[in-house]
Amino acid sequence: MSTEKHQSETVPMIRIEKLHKSFGDLSVLKGVDIEVPRQQVLVIIGPSGSGKSTLLRCVNHLETPTSGKIFLEDKLINDTTHSRKAFEKHLNQIRCMLGMVFQQFNLFPHMTVIENVMEAPVHVLKQEKDQVRSRAEALLDKVGLRDKADAYPSMLSGGQQQRVAIARALAMEPKAMLFDEVTSALDPELVGDVLRVMADLAREGMTMLVVTHEMGFAEQVGDRVIFMADGVVVEDTSPQAIFSNPTEARTRQFLSDILK
Amino acid sequence: MLDWNIIFHYFPFLAKGALLTLEISILSLILGLIFGLSAALSKLSRNFLLRNVAVFYIWLIRSTPLLVQLFIIYFGLPQLGIDLGPYISGVLGLGLNVGAYNAETIRGGIQSVPAGQHEAARSLGMSSALAMRRIILPQALRIIIPPLGNNFIILIKDTSLVSTITLVELTLTAQRFIGSTYKPFEMYVMAAFLYAVLTTTASFLLGKVEARTSKGTR
Ligand SMILES: Nc1ncnc2c1ncn2[C@@H]1O[C@H](COP(=O)(O)OP(=O)(O)OP(=O)(O)O)[C@@H](O)[C@H]1O
Ligand SMILES: [Mg+2]
Repeated sequence: MSTEKHQSETVPMIRIEKLHKSFGDLSVLKGVDIEVPRQQVLVIIGPSGSGKSTLLRCVNHLETPTSGKIFLEDKLINDTTHSRKAFEKHLNQIRCMLGMVFQQFNLFPHMTVIENVMEAPVHVLKQEKDQVRSRAEALLDKVGLRDKADAYPSMLSGGQQQRVAIARALAMEPKAMLFDEVTSALDPELVGDVLRVMADLAREGMTMLVVTHEMGFAEQVGDRVIFMADGVVVEDTSPQAIFSNPTEARTRQFLSDILK
Repeated sequence: MLDWNIIFHYFPFLAKGALLTLEISILSLILGLIFGLSAALSKLSRNFLLRNVAVFYIWLIRSTPLLVQLFIIYFGLPQLGIDLGPYISGVLGLGLNVGAYNAETIRGGIQSVPAGQHEAARSLGMSSALAMRRIILPQALRIIIPPLGNNFIILIKDTSLVSTITLVELTLTAQRFIGSTYKPFEMYVMAAFLYAVLTTTASFLLGKVEARTSKGTR
């Protein structure tokens, strides 16, 4: 009993081992090893095309890894020993535990804000509708959009849509959250609201894997920062270290380019 | 000009024929939706057999005339021991025909929903089937309904072809009275008028349905 507890506290929330991913002849991830300890925020930065999105999408298996292993706690995500049908089921269970927020929001346009948030808990987890509704209202409150519950996504600003997307992912009560450049499609004045919601989430102890170009967020909210280039992890260190004193020349180059 | 006495006398009989036309239209509409959705989903499926059956069905129907399809079902099949009679032959033939056109419309609509919608649904733990039913199809519907409505309007007019397999719908009713009255002009004008009533009503109702499915769009 006590050893089990001990183990569940030390096993990282997400562990990526020797991950390779190719699209045809194009090798995008070339052996990536990453650990996200529970309750930590790991920020990934890197130039366009370095494979950051691909990495995140491999974690919840929107992309099929070419080789390597990805674990959620002690569960192997890309467990190919299952039959196809069993694997589908396994994946759906894994995805229920991994929230994902996309650059383009991807809200369901035919549903109101609250229907978006309630959709998966009701239809995937088969939870009681009234119960889900009150949780959804609380989540909308948290992201500052309680008054938009009955609006359709097309009536909201990008920043508001993205906050609904975060609430929608949180409604599944995931163990960890994946964020893929969630502020890149937003007008500059709307970025702050979204980052604030994410910082709150981090403070509450959510485990987060965040791809972003927001260096301020990386520095202030990140527990660790990874610099990725050409499909490999170039540097994996503390935010302070990477911004004040990057060891790798490529990291220095990237940071000076981006902060210009 | 028009012989109004003939018109007043025969209109109720033609209206009755129009009712049968309406009935055939609705039944083949339903069949056409079932065939169309099945063929569309089959054509998009990973299953090799399903996909190719759908491709063959759509190709076969779209590359041959409806009239010949009806003749094969009504006159041809009995030779193989399958005698469906004019009513079932007519509805089945029309349903199969419009189904093939619907299939391409529905497939196009499904494919026009951005890939991000499917990914968002899957990332929330939805199975492929649930994502299709709850997320993709409702959005595809908005795009599909106008062309599907168009297919339906064409279908209503195409039902006149089943008059050739002895189904006494509107066109054949009109033809039959020509034999006894020698008034082809009045009979066909009345038939045309009744077809116009049916298609115009259908267009109107389709407009209402379109308005209902477009919620969430600006
Ligand atoms: N489905 C795909 N098919 C083929 N190539 C792909 C696919 N997805 C991504 N790639 C390629 O993989 C490489 C890495 O893409 P990825 O989107 O992971 O980069 P990124 O680091 O997220 O870049 P950005 O900062 O621009 O979002 C790119 O060269 C891209 O063109
Ligand atoms: Mg990316």
